[in-house]
Amino acid sequence: MSVQAQLTKGKITLRGSARIVTEFFMYGINSILFQRGIYPIEDFEVKKKYGLDIWVSSDVSVKKYLSKIMESVEEWLAASKINKLVLAVNSRETRETLERWQFDIQLVDEEEKEGEKPKPPKSEKALQLEIQAIFRQIAASVSFLPIIEEKCTFNILVYADSDAEVPTTWTDSDPLHIKNAEQVRLRSFSTDAHRVEAMVAYRRDPDLC
Amino acid sequence: MSADHISKGAFGPVTPAQAKIINRPLKDDRSAYPSPRTMSKLSASKGDSASLGPRVSGAPPSPRMKKTKQAQYDRFIPNRNAMDIASSQFNIARADSEQPLDGATIAYHEEVARACGVSINKRILTFKEEAPTSEKDDLRQIYSRVALKSTASAVTKRRILNIPERVLDAPGMVDDYYLNLLDWSRSNTLAIGLDQSVYLWNANTGDVNSLCQLEGEAYIASVKWTADGSYLAIGTSEGDVQIWDAESQSKIRTMSGHQARVGVLSWERHTVSSGCRDGSIWNHDVRVANHKIAELVAHSYEVCGLTWRSDGALLASGGNDNLVNIWDARSTVPKFTKTQHTAAVRALAWSPWQLNLLATGGGSYDRHVHFWNTTTTARLNSIDTGSQVTSIQWSSEYRELVTSHGLPHNHLALWSYPSLAKVIDIPAHDTRILHTALSPDGQTIATSASDESLKFWRIFELRTKSGKSGKTEGIGASATASLPGAMPASGSSSGTIVGSNILDISRPSYIR
Repeated sequence: MSVQAQLTKGKITLRGSARIVTEFFMYGINSILFQRGIYPIEDFEVKKKYGLDIWVSSDVSVKKYLSKIMESVEEWLAASKINKLVLAVNSRETRETLERWQFDIQLVDEEEKEGEKPKPPKSEKALQLEIQAIFRQIAASVSFLPIIEEKCTFNILVYADSDAEVPTTWTDSDPLHIKNAEQVRLRSFSTDAHRVEAMVAYRRDPDLC
Repeated sequence: MSADHISKGAFGPVTPAQAKIINRPLKDDRSAYPSPRTMSKLSASKGDSASLGPRVSGAPPSPRMKKTKQAQYDRFIPNRNAMDIASSQFNIARADSEQPLDGATIAYHEEVARACGVSINKRILTFKEEAPTSEKDDLRQIYSRVALKSTASAVTKRRILNIPERVLDAPGMVDDYYLNLLDWSRSNTLAIGLDQSVYLWNANTGDVNSLCQLEGEAYIASVKWTADGSYLAIGTSEGDVQIWDAESQSKIRTMSGHQARVGVLSWERHTVSSGCRDGSIWNHDVRVANHKIAELVAHSYEVCGLTWRSDGALLASGGNDNLVNIWDARSTVPKFTKTQHTAAVRALAWSPWQLNLLATGGGSYDRHVHFWNTTTTARLNSIDTGSQVTSIQWSSEYRELVTSHGLPHNHLALWSYPSLAKVIDIPAHDTRILHTALSPDGQTIATSASDESLKFWRIFELRTKSGKSGKTEGIGASATASLPGAMPASGSSSGTIVGSNILDISRPSYIR
């Protein structure tokens, strides 16, 4: 069932919401990889999404890698087993984390209080506007983030509940916090079921203090 | 849920309006942590969770734990950063105390956990597989798409058409950067080498002749007219240099000797210089039987640029070894060598109005045009063109030069000299421009590319019809100047003319 179909029905289900959030992560991660120069510019192509031009990787191996990750993430989201997704940008040489893009995922409280009217379902347009704002912020963040000079790679981390089903392709990890970090909170968006808040942490330039 | 993010206590959910206020760097992430009193019990002075571990265990801080910029690995623990030391340590500590916990202790643990960003019943997972790396060089440097300058700047007072005046078919054009297959003679005949054959296109009449066809596997590697346009030198892939009479269209002689293909030729009166793939340059005197009069060896790879100065005193050569050599006509050692280019140097051009000025352009990794004063050997100026430089042509009419380029735009760029301001960019071909030739009247540039077309661009239109046209000796320019009305619209707007086998002649030529 497509997201569209669910939207027209009224309130979207948890699974539909999981799909929207996963799709957002997919484009968000692609956008960050492009903006931060993790992969060369010619590996990207423009796609129209959320009413924006978004750069997504056209490299087969990157695409495959991300879709494998997103498959698990969507499962977890639908089962409400994760509450954070982190994209850590690491130096390829020292493995030090230079940037940490964090997306906090919260379940929107479903129980409606007695006597209160149920909230009207969120329109697709409003959702798109919220997501647009985040993408704009990701693009704009290039202006304050330190320039990455070394060759970098990235890691995707997920904060899962201990009872979550973990495929063998995933393993436990360090939170990959940044030493001496500064953080900037970005905008958030919410579907009827999930609320996603974005934040970026980066290494403070020691010379500036 | 116990493991909220550390910063949530500080911020809470953010509405767009609040985000405006909060959306600025915090001075310190430590300030985002709630600071419970319990922190002091753990003596976690650093506030960063990774440093917590060894302190709690009571072990003295080992020197290895000292934070340095370099990653510290050892035999047993390859990478400390990759391990969740804080969580592990905390779990070990918990396992030790098996006694039943009361509510206060649990709350305490949770508080500590939250304070440290460590979770008790949360797992931090990462995707095992490494992210694919892009091992390619960062091509952003090489193929950055600089925006084209599509309209002529106000500096130029003439109109520069950015559509070709004429397009001819050139099937079989070999896509090889190291060959030189196009030349336009003084007598207004264009010679083009297409694979095994050389064709002559008479710009006055529009007639096409096939001059010669090589046998076997051999192909044409270079063509060059003498200064008066009466003879054509042809370099072949077999290492021969042939001299052809343009009038009778017959071969006069073949000069053999090179062991590899002759990719570039340059005439100086009765001497023809040939640049070979093996890096040698030979001077042949075409009048005598023992034609080889000098061997110039200074390049270690293929010579792809070679041009005599108009007075015959100096010869400039460029090779695939990224060198530019300037030779005195009387010597067989280079007068000086220039190493500034970082890619093969194919584009070489002497300024027609300043004898000692030489422009050289480098290939895809270099993208620069350097200007040299060959008297003082000093570098006068440089341009980063943003794309490989395949050839350079100076204008005799204007203080300008044209460079032709490859990826990404395959364009012609017009620069004024000495300001080096870009006048205009003209996207010219579908593939990199391989060869350019200037018409004898100096107004039109012919370009050919491996998209198998030959295009003519009127870039250096003469300033006035009076005064200047006398200088052009009636070759081309006077006729074209009188033919503006006859310019067929189809010639300029139709793309590549197909249909005829070679160099279409069915349309009226206005380069007459």
